[in-house]
Amino acid sequence: MRSKITVWLGLGLVALAAAAMAAEPTGTGQRFTREISFPLIAEGKWPGRQLRDGQPDVEGFYSNTIGNHSNWTNPGRAPSRVTDPADGQIPYQPWARAKQEEFVANFDNPTRPEYIEPLARCAPGGVPKSFVWHGFEIRQFPGYVVLLFDSGSRAIHLDGKPHLPDKVKLWNADSRGRWEGNTLVVEVRNSNGKAQLGRKGDFIGPNAVINERYIFAPDGGRFNYVATVTDPETFTRPWTSTIPVKRFTEKDEPDNWNYWVVPANLPGKPLLHEHVERICVENNGPFGGGAVGVPFDGPVIAR
Amino acid sequence: MKTFYNCFAGTLRTATLVVMLAVTPAVPAFAADDIPRLPSGRPDFSGIWQTNSPADYDLEPHAGRRDAPPGAGVIEGGFIPYLPAALEQRQRNFERRAELDPRLKCWVLGVPRSVYYPAPFQIFQRDRDLTLLHQFGHQVRTIHTNGTLHPVDQEQGFFLGDSRGHWEGDTLVVDVVDFIDIPWLDRAGNHHSDKLHVLERWKYLDNNTIEYRATLEDPKAYSRPWTLQVDLQRNRDPNAQLIEDYCFTLEYEQYYPPKKD
Repeated sequence: MRSKITVWLGLGLVALAAAAMAAEPTGTGQRFTREISFPLIAEGKWPGRQLRDGQPDVEGFYSNTIGNHSNWTNPGRAPSRVTDPADGQIPYQPWARAKQEEFVANFDNPTRPEYIEPLARCAPGGVPKSFVWHGFEIRQFPGYVVLLFDSGSRAIHLDGKPHLPDKVKLWNADSRGRWEGNTLVVEVRNSNGKAQLGRKGDFIGPNAVINERYIFAPDGGRFNYVATVTDPETFTRPWTSTIPVKRFTEKDEPDNWNYWVVPANLPGKPLLHEHVERICVENNGPFGGGAVGVPFDGPVIAR
Repeated sequence: MKTFYNCFAGTLRTATLVVMLAVTPAVPAFAADDIPRLPSGRPDFSGIWQTNSPADYDLEPHAGRRDAPPGAGVIEGGFIPYLPAALEQRQRNFERRAELDPRLKCWVLGVPRSVYYPAPFQIFQRDRDLTLLHQFGHQVRTIHTNGTLHPVDQEQGFFLGDSRGHWEGDTLVVDVVDFIDIPWLDRAGNHHSDKLHVLERWKYLDNNTIEYRATLEDPKAYSRPWTLQVDLQRNRDPNAQLIEDYCFTLEYEQYYPPKKD
């Protein structure tokens, strides 16, 4: 029982394990391959189906198409996620660059707790890292877009109410959005700045404002996630990341990474994929296991 | 004139009441047509819910103690019909509850505990499913109502089990199987095995109250099935919203983010 959960979560080389599993076809669907370039999608009208509250219907399973969650800027096997500035680099203030480089220098042999990637401790993925981690699901309800990630969830409020007060800081931040045609526009505040962007120490500070634009293609088959970060305490200028995202359906082959679903038990009916429970901290085996203070198995709260 | 008017109004009221009594069948005082419904006509449980019950302190009747207010218990018949070995386990759990309760690590609370744990959860509902997003920890539970069955492999050992629901009139009936034996049922060390099977019944008592019943069957832990019942109240505070409370992060979050020297 526990061992099966361990397999789900992966220890250590989870990416390699998933790649190995994915290499053995488990069904008849189309095998997903990573992209090294992707199309731009224009903002405009939404020609597709709408939900009862008028939202474009974009419900379903999604994943980024570039497959690199370790490094936000390395153009080696995927384009840099940074699309502005044009050099693809994050425009850190000197102090912040020094901190990021200090993390990189200590990542392989972390002698202090701050050199462990928070995600390796099962922390929520945060904004925007969650979009380059495992595949995720979008569910929509009147007044909400709910994003279910592998590590944490986000409920984007569409009701026009204000953000939480500034002092309330959260791993997955506070999201207030609206639809403009084919584009979901979200203002993200209240991030605690603790979730990182990959395994290279890249981070966004706790007083950042992130403006997200989820631009959906007319056929609903993909969207581009475009996020502009404004955080003068940490960066010399606002900067923008773009992440291409593809929709996955029953035509695609589950791969336990980008499209992590199983066939529902529905005898005599067409194939239907569904998501299964994800746990992490409960398994006491985050992939930072063995590093300083990981895993931790004592009481955390006194309430 | 005034007296006459009052008498007249009173007569009207009496007459109306008599007519209502005459045409109203013997049902409770709420009107089923008033509850929120989806366009499909099914009851719509969307909203933020939490129980006022002290169930999470101890499901069984108990006097007040250092770490729990008193409670009359929420179990039909009062007590959990443990098998002898499971009762001994409960006693050991109780003695070490201040260190062993999985809630203290902010782990997924399981079913049914997540429903009566004293923190809000938000139900998002579509015809095909209900999404229960819990404020405490990171648990998200899907109750499928699309006709799908439990997976063929029922030894996957989920913290939340596998939930398949159907409607019996306006009652949502949910069958939950395939658990791991780690979650507790409350802060008093009540527990179950990996053979737990839960049958839940969710129904509106009025627009802002859900009656929640759960029958627990577990041949490795209990001598017979038993049932608990709590009410869930809708949170109608002006600022009501879920605020993430991952809290298993508290042990290490002081190490992030990097700070300017």
